[in-house]
Formats: sequence, structure tokens, C-alpha cells
Amino acid sequence: MNELTFAKIDQTVLDTLKPPDRSYWLTVGILFAGALAGAACWIYQILTGIGVAGMNNPVGWGTYLINFVFWVGIAHSGTLISAILHLLRAGWRNPIARAAETMTVFAVCIAGLFPFIHLGRVWLVFYMLPIPNQRNLWQNFQSPLMFDVVAISTYLTVSSLFWYTGMLPDLAIVRDRATGIRKKIFTVISLGWTGAHEQWRHYARGYLFFAALATPLVISVHSVVSWDFALAVVPGWHTTIFAPYFVAGAIHSGLAMVLTLMIPIRKLFHYEEIITVKVLESVAKTIIFTGLIVGFAYGTEFFIAWYSQNPVEMAIFKYRPTGDFALGFWIMVVCNTIIPLLFFFKKIRTTIPWLFGISICVNIGMWYERFVIIITSVSRDFIPHAWGLYSPTMIEFGIMLGAFCLFFFFFLLFVKHLPSVSMTEMKETVEQGAGHGD
Amino acid sequence: MGTEYRVMGLFTDENRAVSAIEAIKDSPWPLRRVHSPVPSHKISDALRLKKSKVGYFTLAGGIAGFFAGFLLAAFTASQWNLVVSGKPVIALVPFFIVGFEFTILFAVFGNVAGLIHQMQLPEFTGLEEYDPRCSGEHFGILAACKADELEGLKAFFQTRGGEINIFSEKQEHP
Repeated sequence: MNELTFAKIDQTVLDTLKPPDRSYWLTVGILFAGALAGAACWIYQILTGIGVAGMNNPVGWGTYLINFVFWVGIAHSGTLISAILHLLRAGWRNPIARAAETMTVFAVCIAGLFPFIHLGRVWLVFYMLPIPNQRNLWQNFQSPLMFDVVAISTYLTVSSLFWYTGMLPDLAIVRDRATGIRKKIFTVISLGWTGAHEQWRHYARGYLFFAALATPLVISVHSVVSWDFALAVVPGWHTTIFAPYFVAGAIHSGLAMVLTLMIPIRKLFHYEEIITVKVLESVAKTIIFTGLIVGFAYGTEFFIAWYSQNPVEMAIFKYRPTGDFALGFWIMVVCNTIIPLLFFFKKIRTTIPWLFGISICVNIGMWYERFVIIITSVSRDFIPHAWGLYSPTMIEFGIMLGAFCLFFFFFLLFVKHLPSVSMTEMKETVEQGAGHGD
Repeated sequence: MGTEYRVMGLFTDENRAVSAIEAIKDSPWPLRRVHSPVPSHKISDALRLKKSKVGYFTLAGGIAGFFAGFLLAAFTASQWNLVVSGKPVIALVPFFIVGFEFTILFAVFGNVAGLIHQMQLPEFTGLEEYDPRCSGEHFGILAACKADELEGLKAFFQTRGGEINIFSEKQEHP
């Protein structure tokens, strides 16, 4: 392999910003149409009423909140890669950090939509804002749902600022190579960055603080999401393991999504020398680790249900693998804990189709994990005569499809208009002579 | 009133740039700025840069954030004065969570404010004496000299392996 140089890094990344061909715009158009279809489903739901979704007693929380938790989870590995691995000085995170951070920002945006969609009367969403009002109503911050409003808003704000600040030196690189209107735009958004020593002095310090602040935030946000469930006295939810279990699961799904996104980008944009197989292998190794934690959490839930000898708790954990939603349970177990074990074999974790295929399996498995947690618990509450079943309607599937399309639509726009690999961090890696996976 | 020239020496090698910085400090030419494509500890050490004060802004933001979050939660709770789930109206544990999230949020706001204030961004006049190669693979050292010293300064950079970029002259203040 040829040695990476500063010039080669710049050239490889800047080549990705060249005007795209027709197939790119066609894909963007299809994704936009998918997002519009989702929006149409939501508008129909607003006009008709929340009854068009499949949620009803006793299952009042359905796919909207499954998707909310799923997308918040996807968002987590971006911060893991950009902040935690930055503090740990893991060189392999540099080639994928930018894409992972971008994934975080877009995934939080998508996640943030779902509580709105879940509201029957979305136009009353401002009730959640602590502002003086004639109703004399104020929020009760003892509720985990209010913790969630604060945590998700904080996470979106912090991850967006972290993402933009990290991109400043790269925006200047694009500015310095651009012409015409593009140069003007990048001059403004790079804020006049010149890489002067005074700028670097403050920037390096500020970036370190960003990473140090984002690390506890990322852990707190999914802990708070888990408390939406754990603080409710519902069998299957009311457990202290939820916070670490959710955080590990979030990172597990996020890392899988990083592989799902980075493998096609690597191929399309000829990033093979920057995003090496060794980098992808490092992600795969981390997936083994998070998969084992998730598997341990699944086992612990069953153990505690048996150990407590609480009949309601035991019943729900018998119901999950054998009841009406058993298929979802077994998809969850196999995709999240068994299939990732294949990464123990070097040949598999260094083969691109295997990496891609397993990452898709983990994504599916993690979606089903949220399905199993939410649906099985509320469908079999304490009182047998109040039990019920749940199946999503076409409206819910439409909104879910729209959300996926919107996420990939944003991501596709990003990779062609902004640097999808951090040129500056790659140069730092080369400068320090630290391996990034060679 | 004389004419001041700004000359930038451009180096592709960080070590050469560092030795040029060390040497120029002992020369009659004032060093105006150093540009680099990556943050460099060697350059920071050569310039004997002090630690940034951004952290104070971050700390101030964090402290303000904790109290803002906790007090917001306490204020809204006190407006109802209703015992929920047997918890006191001003409940420490749940409000600490709100305080924690606000700590992070405001600390980041403080961090950004600190960065903007300390780096003095946005600032576009710096681009007038800036070589775009500095964002690519060159380390740029900008020094000033009088008209009769121009050749000497050019030679200074060239003998150390640097390329030269001369910016239009500036009128010195009397």
C-alpha cells in the first residue's frame, strides 16, 4: 500500500465533493419520495386521529417509541467514536469519526421526531416547554419523560456543536480549494479559520473539553431513555439493569450502523487507503464486546426474574421466548448475541461482505430488541383480563419507512457536500506516525 | 512612516518549520503568525504558548448550568406544590438529573463562547495574509520586515528549505 501523505488525504476526500452523477440524484430523489410518503402518513394520522395507528389498550406504546429508542441508540456510537475513543487516543477512530458524528446528529433528529409523531395532538407539544403561560401549568421534572425532553435536546445541541466545531479546519481546506459561489459559502461557514497557532491553541483545548463533556452525556442520555421504562411499575421494565443494558445496546446498534454506512461509502468514494480493513476490523471487535454485554444483560434479566420468584416477572420472561411475540425475541437473541460472535473468526471480520451482512443483522436485531422490551411488557400486564396483542398498521410502517428514508437522504446529501472523513484528524494520525489500521 | 513587508516561509516538514521559528526569534524580524494544517505540539513548544483559557468559560458555563437546571426544576415543582409518588415537592434525586443535563449543556455553551471569544472568530481579515497551502501540507511562518531587509528575510527562509510568499506591503503606523 502507498504511504498516505497530507496531499493524498486531501485529494481523496476532496474528490468525493466533485459534482455527482445522475445515479446519485436519482437515489436522493427516491429517498426524498420515501420521506414524503412518511410525512403523508403522519399528516393523515394528524387529520384522522391517533387511532389509525395500531396502538390501543393495553399496548399504548408501539412502533413510534420503538423507533425513538432505536434511533437514539444509533446516535450513540457517533459520540462513542468521536468523544470516548478520542479521549482513549484510539487512532483507528479517526477515519470514521466524522461519518459517525454525522450519523449521530441525523439519528437524533430522526429520534426526536418520534415523540412528536406519538403524540395524539401534536399541536400541543409546547406544553412540554417550561415557559410562563396563562394555563398556569408547569412541567413536573420528577417524571422521566421530562428528563428525556431535557436529555435529548441537550444531546442534539451538544452533538451538533461538536460536529460543526470538529469540521471547522476541514471546511477551511475545502474553502482553499474551491472557486466561485462554493468558495464564498465555505468562506462563511469556515468562519475565517486559517490554522494560525493562536487558533489551534484554543481549538485543541476546546475540542478536548467537548470530548470530556460528551462522554458522560452519552451515557446519561440512554440511561435517561431507559428510565422512561424502568421507572414505570411494569413487569419486564421495572429493573435496575436497564441503564447499562440500554447504553451497551445503543453502542452495539450504533457501531453496526457505522459499518452499514461506511462500507458502501468506502467502496463508492475509494476510501480503501483511509478506511482500511483494519479500521473496520476494530469496529467488529468492539461489536463483539458490546454484543457480549448485551447477551449478558439478556441472561441477567431471566436470572433475576427466576431468582426473585416474583410470579408476574417470571410470567413475562416465560412469555417472551414462547408467547405471541416469540419470533421477535429469537430474532433479537440470534442477531444481537449469536451472529456477532462470528467476528471472533479473523477471516469473517476482515471480509467486507461478512462485515456488511452481520452489521445489517445487528441493526435488525436491535430494532427487535426494542420491540420485545416495549410490546411484550405492556401487552401482558398484571391483570390477565387486560392482556392484548399489537400489530403495527400500514400508517406506522409508512412513517417508519419515511424515517429511514429521511435519515439516508440527509446522510447522502452530507457525503457529497461536506467532507465525510476528517482530513485534519487523518493528517494528525499520519503526522504522529500512529497507525490507523495499517 | 515606512513600508512593512510580510513574508511567509512555507515548509512541508514540521521539524524544519520548528527550527525556522526558533531561529527567527533570534533575528531582527518580528514573527507575526504561524499557520499549520494540524495542531502541533512542537510548534506550540517553540512558540512557548501558554495554556488556553477556554476551560474557564467551560467551567463557568457548567456551574451556571447546574444551578439553572436544578432551580428550573425546583421552580416548576413549587408552582404546583403537589406531592407526587410520595416524593418531596423539591426532590433532590430527580432534580439532580435535570441539573446534570443542564451542566453539560451550559458547559458546552460556555466552551463554544470561549472558543469564539479566544479565537476571535468569525474573522475574515486574517485571510488577506494567508496562503491556502497552509491548510494542505505546508507550515507557514509569517514574519515582517522593512523594504531594505526583504532580501535578507527571503534568504533566511530559503536557506532553511522554505518556499516564499510575499504579501502586499502594509503602511506602518508612524
